[in-house]
Amino acid sequence: MRTDEQPGGPAATAPYRFAEQHTPPAPLRVSEVAQTTFEHVYEVDPRLMQTHVLQQVFPNWDTLRIMRSRHDHLEWMHRHFAGRVVTGSALLAEVEAELEAGAAEPGATDPQADGPAAGPIGGPAGS
Amino acid sequence: MTQVQPDRAPGATPRTAAGDGAPPVDAPRQIDALSEPFTPGAPSNPPELADFPETLAGPVPPPREDPRTAAFVEQWRNASYNCFSSGHKFCREVCPVTQVERNESWTPTAFHANVIAMERGELDIADIAADYVNCTQCGACELRCPNTLFTGDFYRFRTRTVDVVKAVRSLAVESGVHQPNWQIWNERTDLRTHEPVLGETPVGQESVRDWAEGLDIPVGGETVLFVDCEAAFYRTSVPRAVAQVLQMAGYEFGLMGEQWCCGGPAAEMGYAEQAQRFARHNLDNWRATGTRRVLVLDPHDYISFTEDYPKYFGEEFDIEVVLVIEVLAQLLREGRLTPSVPVDRAITYHDPCRLNKRKGIWQEPRELLRAIPGLRFEDVDRVTQWSYCSGGGGGLPIEKPELTRKISALRLERAAELDVDTLVSACPWSERPLSEAGDAEDIDVVDLHELFAQSLGISVGGSRGDVGDRRLAQERTGVPGRARRTRGSSGGCGGGGCGSGSGCGCGGH
Repeated sequence: MRTDEQPGGPAATAPYRFAEQHTPPAPLRVSEVAQTTFEHVYEVDPRLMQTHVLQQVFPNWDTLRIMRSRHDHLEWMHRHFAGRVVTGSALLAEVEAELEAGAAEPGATDPQADGPAAGPIGGPAGS
Repeated sequence: MTQVQPDRAPGATPRTAAGDGAPPVDAPRQIDALSEPFTPGAPSNPPELADFPETLAGPVPPPREDPRTAAFVEQWRNASYNCFSSGHKFCREVCPVTQVERNESWTPTAFHANVIAMERGELDIADIAADYVNCTQCGACELRCPNTLFTGDFYRFRTRTVDVVKAVRSLAVESGVHQPNWQIWNERTDLRTHEPVLGETPVGQESVRDWAEGLDIPVGGETVLFVDCEAAFYRTSVPRAVAQVLQMAGYEFGLMGEQWCCGGPAAEMGYAEQAQRFARHNLDNWRATGTRRVLVLDPHDYISFTEDYPKYFGEEFDIEVVLVIEVLAQLLREGRLTPSVPVDRAITYHDPCRLNKRKGIWQEPRELLRAIPGLRFEDVDRVTQWSYCSGGGGGLPIEKPELTRKISALRLERAAELDVDTLVSACPWSERPLSEAGDAEDIDVVDLHELFAQSLGISVGGSRGDVGDRRLAQERTGVPGRARRTRGSSGGCGGGGCGSGSGCGCGGH
């Protein structure tokens, strides 16, 4: 299964059934330390939480509630405080484009370093 | 919930003379999580990082001698350090108690810090039990906490203030430290199998179905409607509205054979054994009547049945739990219910804490409200309402009614700013304190189910409680003294009570 084919998860008001709530979708590995279950839900590899802090029991509704609340909250923050909202993928594309452009110029500087080349990516955030 | 047994430090971590935790000058350099950050456990790590030295955790204090306290701090230390060691304090401005009291001992942060202090032997349960009264268990703090909102689902480890508060209250009760009003309340509940919501007027098994008089609802069956104590005995208009709407749609359901209180309030106040005993009774009773599905109209019951009962019974709990609002929204979508009677009110909706914050349920109530013709709906979004509360939860009105009044007054002040005449809730337990506060603002507090039934042309009957009944009677008799907000209104009698029941849209109310 691809990450874009993951189940979105039931609605918050879906009937509660114990067995369903304690059976998350089969995890799909996304990095060497993380996996994904529901769409937009990324989780640490549970094998990494077996020593100091054990994971809590998380029914599916709680996982989905947190993920959806985060999206709600970020949208609320954007609506109240952001002049412009830029996606992470757009930022990364800008960084890559600048790096490629810099590599093509002789004497290019590190964009992360202090100095005239450093500065906000993509210009001001707007008003 | 699972908590880990912390590693007991075999000895003190080597420290420098300065005691700053830096490695001794002549010690061979070791790679650790501070000197070179890395992802512990990542397969691509160099082999020498497979067993890296622990430099972050200090030694764990010796266990407390009192076995109850020892077991408590063992279970809750990680959850508490999760708060104590980060200290974001975003919880403060969404906490309904903090907003009105500004008492540092009554904040979610303090509730966790106390557990740390208990582990270190600096506090005992008797020192802090009374502080933990000051919580409605609305869940705002734990949802707004970045450890939940931004990392909780990733680590499967989130802030659990509500559980910590319940556990502290339980430890207090088990240790013989009672809050006087909670003790009386739960003794009476135990005696009568229902909460004493009518004060000195007795409640009990013989009257728990009185609200359904004349509705011809069978007892038992595959699907039963569970009615919480407040709705069954005090705000009876709510279950009557629900039952009649379901009947109108042809939805089959019965009532419980022998319904006891869900046990949730006892669990919230720390009377854990009683709560589980009541839960056991209800589960056994459902089995006895062949029940497979429980309809729930009260958000507090919904929490009990989807959080407490699964913890008590595990896989044995195979009962399907369905929120009535979801059923109504589904019936609306299917066209089996079509609200057609205009309701001339300017409303705003109060997101019940246990639906919005604790369950993420905010959509369906608005779906129902937007289907009602005639309403002017001044909506406040669900995220803003994380910081709203009625003050009616967690046993607060029983032990500290004056604090509940402050919180509900603040909620009504916010409603009044919207120039509405009605605050709609979907939680019977919120409606008593909100109605009392609403009276001062000249704002009616109406239940969503009542309003939806009205728009379906149903004469609900029952009681809206002392304040609700009085205000409804005033509307019907046209007693002056309350002004219908008219901004954006489509006209009509203004809701002052024309008595006609038709044409103007006030429905005779």
